[in-house]
Amino acid sequence: MQVTSRVIRRRIMTLFLLLLAAVGGLIGRLAYIQVGQTQWLSGRAHNLWSRSIPVQGVRGTISDDHGLPLVYTATAPSVLSVPAQVTNKSSTATKLSNVLHMSAEKILQTLQQHKAMVWISPGGRRITDTQAEAVRALHLPGIYITEEGKRTYPEGSLASQVLGITGADNQGITGIEKQYNSVLSGQPGYIEFYANAKGQRMPGTGEQYIPPVNGDNIQLTINTQIQQFVEREIEQSVAEYHPNSVTAIVANPKTGAILAMANYPTFNPAHWRDYPPNTYNQNLAIWQTFEPGSTFKVVTLSAALQENKVNLADKFFDPGYYEVAGHRIRCWKAGGHGSESFLNVVENSCNPGFVALGERLGKQTLFGYIKKFGFGTKTGVDLPGEGNGILFKLSQVGPLELATTSFGQGVSVTPIQQVMAMSAIANGGLLMKPYLMDKETNPVTGQVVRQTQPTVVRRVISTQTSALVRQTLESVVANGSGRSAYVDGYRVAGKTGTAQVAENGHYTSGHYIVSFMGMAPASDPRLVAYLAIDYPRPQNGVVFGGVIVAPIVGRILGDSLQYLQVPKSTQGLSKKFRYGDIPLYTMPSFVGLTVGDAQRTAIESSAQIHTEVVGQGKYVIAQAPAPGTKVAYGQTIRLYLGGQMPQRPAVPPPVH
Amino acid sequence: MSHSNDRLDWLLVGITLILLMIGLLMVHSASSVISAQRFGDAYFYAKRQLLWALLGLVAMTWTARVDYHQWRRFAPQLILLSFVFLAVVLIPGVGQNRGGSQAWLGIGSFGIQPSEFAKLALILFLAHDLEHNKHKLQSFWRGFVPPLTMALVAVGLIMLEPDLGQSVVIVGTTVILLFAAGAKLSHLGVLAGVGGLGFVGLVAMAPYRMMRIVAFLDPWKDPLGKGYQIIQSLYALGSGGLLGLGIGNSHQKYFYLPEPQTDFVFSILGEELGFLGAATVLALFASMVWRGYRTALYAPDAYGALLAAGITGMIAVQVLINVGVVTGSIPATGITLPFISFGGSSLTLMLTAMGILLNISTKSTFPVK
Repeated sequence: MQVTSRVIRRRIMTLFLLLLAAVGGLIGRLAYIQVGQTQWLSGRAHNLWSRSIPVQGVRGTISDDHGLPLVYTATAPSVLSVPAQVTNKSSTATKLSNVLHMSAEKILQTLQQHKAMVWISPGGRRITDTQAEAVRALHLPGIYITEEGKRTYPEGSLASQVLGITGADNQGITGIEKQYNSVLSGQPGYIEFYANAKGQRMPGTGEQYIPPVNGDNIQLTINTQIQQFVEREIEQSVAEYHPNSVTAIVANPKTGAILAMANYPTFNPAHWRDYPPNTYNQNLAIWQTFEPGSTFKVVTLSAALQENKVNLADKFFDPGYYEVAGHRIRCWKAGGHGSESFLNVVENSCNPGFVALGERLGKQTLFGYIKKFGFGTKTGVDLPGEGNGILFKLSQVGPLELATTSFGQGVSVTPIQQVMAMSAIANGGLLMKPYLMDKETNPVTGQVVRQTQPTVVRRVISTQTSALVRQTLESVVANGSGRSAYVDGYRVAGKTGTAQVAENGHYTSGHYIVSFMGMAPASDPRLVAYLAIDYPRPQNGVVFGGVIVAPIVGRILGDSLQYLQVPKSTQGLSKKFRYGDIPLYTMPSFVGLTVGDAQRTAIESSAQIHTEVVGQGKYVIAQAPAPGTKVAYGQTIRLYLGGQMPQRPAVPPPVH
Repeated sequence: MSHSNDRLDWLLVGITLILLMIGLLMVHSASSVISAQRFGDAYFYAKRQLLWALLGLVAMTWTARVDYHQWRRFAPQLILLSFVFLAVVLIPGVGQNRGGSQAWLGIGSFGIQPSEFAKLALILFLAHDLEHNKHKLQSFWRGFVPPLTMALVAVGLIMLEPDLGQSVVIVGTTVILLFAAGAKLSHLGVLAGVGGLGFVGLVAMAPYRMMRIVAFLDPWKDPLGKGYQIIQSLYALGSGGLLGLGIGNSHQKYFYLPEPQTDFVFSILGEELGFLGAATVLALFASMVWRGYRTALYAPDAYGALLAAGITGMIAVQVLINVGVVTGSIPATGITLPFISFGGSSLTLMLTAMGILLNISTKSTFPVK
């Protein structure tokens, strides 16, 4: 018997089916979320729950070419906090400040950050074991001690600008540390645990330790011994000449490997924050660009020889100037060198002679060689912050620009570019890519992960030309302006350079960069060495030219070759004159010149004259020894000053 | 080929008890962390829920024994009484405001929600009224509108608390009853149109409801604000996967999911018991709906049929809304999951209503297989 109407029954049946369908839809939706999206959602949920305390891998060691560590990581304890777990923030801050060298307010600020994890910086970073013990003894909730690496420099400041520095988070900031940061830093590990929404550990969940992967070691091409020779010489030159800066590079010309690289001012990388930023941010050897001066004449010479534009035996007449486009480009030597061979032109560093070579080459060819030698572009050395240098745009090069470029003015180059150009001459004509990393090794197995292979960028000049250039440069050292770089038995070849520094578009009186670029042994060079001193200020008068730098580079080459056990040779050119031997140079006249002009003349002279100033005034009124006197290398000349320009003799006194 | 069994639907009793036990377990598991944190007692919510469950079971036993026809006599009085309570709860200082809703009467943590009892009172009244005036039902103004007006008075009072969830359940249950009673589809269509406009009006009145809707459409847009609860619920369900993390092993109950023992207990259930557990619970509800409508179909009279359909409809609507919100399928609307969520009023009301449904089943005449 049915009491309910058929309508109601039909409606109830419909309702039941509709509701059932709706429940079925929800089950489907649930399946989509719980089965279909489970991976995505549980991954995100995992990120929500998990808290990680990073455990850093030990940063790799950087060693010299023999594996002697230059910087390694010693681990040290550091304090970190999970702020959500700190129960009483102000008392925690007070207690910590008693142990760490940090104010309670600053610690409190740190603890009040809404972060999963904070370092107590800087006072709590890399603390001593005693401090760590004291912090542990406080048993503060939410405060942890973890081991953090501290970079240690067993050789002190040695090669600091090459090695570079690391920051508070163990990241490379400059130098090799930055260049190979990813290699050195390895992979950080974690202590991971689940936390509730208030940051406390979720009960019943374990913690997971993902161990860090230590960074690889890097072995440099830097040789500690040679680096020490270089830094010793830099220190001595700084003590003697009080310069603005000094920079030096020693390279293996055959491979492009950098054996030493150093600058002044330098810094101690363990306390880099105590130094001006320039000292640790800039590596002058690769960054600084300046007019090279006469060292650049090597490029002009190489190009001219390669293009058969000159025979070194050819005669050249130097009247003391060279006229280009209505301008007289003067030789450093008043009155000129007169008649000389092109070999003498190179030995004397005679500007008009090089202008002539430049004209013979033409701008296309000369600039082609400059670029082939690598100037105007980065060498690609494996260090951050390399400079480009500046060349004239070919379209803007007129006769005057061509002339000045041919003796090293009006171009701007980096020390490393000059070293690589010199290396090409040394190794038979190949431009190499310089490098500092020899190999990357696994810290555990010692296995070599990566080894640098020497890279030839291009051939610049022929083997024959390079041999001829070397021979000429050996003669420069034996007979010419680079004479004081001479090292008995080690056949040094090289070229001096003196460049006046332009400031605000004008050359500044007295501000010079003096440099020497050398190689040895000349027959088959093992080393190329370069050193430049920016603004030398000697105590007694003024010292000029190759006199300063050439002997320094000579000592670096000599000591290094001896250290490398390179046998001495007897086949080299013998040095023509020794101190005390018959005088070679005729003392020029400085009388009537301003002090600045006199100094400049002396600087550009290859006679390496020391000057000593007596009295006050703008003009040189007398000099001793007198003009025309034959003097030895390194002779000191006294310049007497006065306020009035003296009556200048129209004709120089006769030469004896 | 049919007989009057005069016996309880023991299957429906079994389903109810199973859901009740799952609920107690889940309320304990979901609330243990915040219970311990708030009250220093991990069993704080579970103990209260057990107490309410026992009270509810007593009520169910009683209503299962009372002939459901008895309720007809008191239906008008009950609905008027519940309106009075709904009005009293709005008086400041008398009613308690929890979570932005002025919905509780009582002292301390023991409070009752008049809106819960209004739901049952309204079902009792509508079943009575629709059967009593069934000859007028085809008339819009004389048959369709008067019962609807009673429901709208209740909704109006509840929206003053405000409590959107209860209002939606009352509207849904009322529509089910009107439909079951045989109201004209055109009249229901008009209701749907007016209701739609009303909904737009309510949203316009309280912009936070619009935010909730936006949050439902794209919770990831504002993961720490409007979308937070839905995302946390999805994290719970998603990380539960097929088999779940195991009972007691929820991570989301560690303060990530706010108030996990009430409206979002199903998320924790899905996290700990997985898709299989959650789907089983939904299947149990589907079985409950099946038993409820079976009772309605074979009820001895139209009043019994409408009463059974209304009670079952109320349970079904709450399940659909609750699980719909928890799974991010519909806009966030706060409503408990029947028999599972923590809440004294909700639980005792549900068990009381279940008793009435069981009593109808004893009077039903089921076909013999």
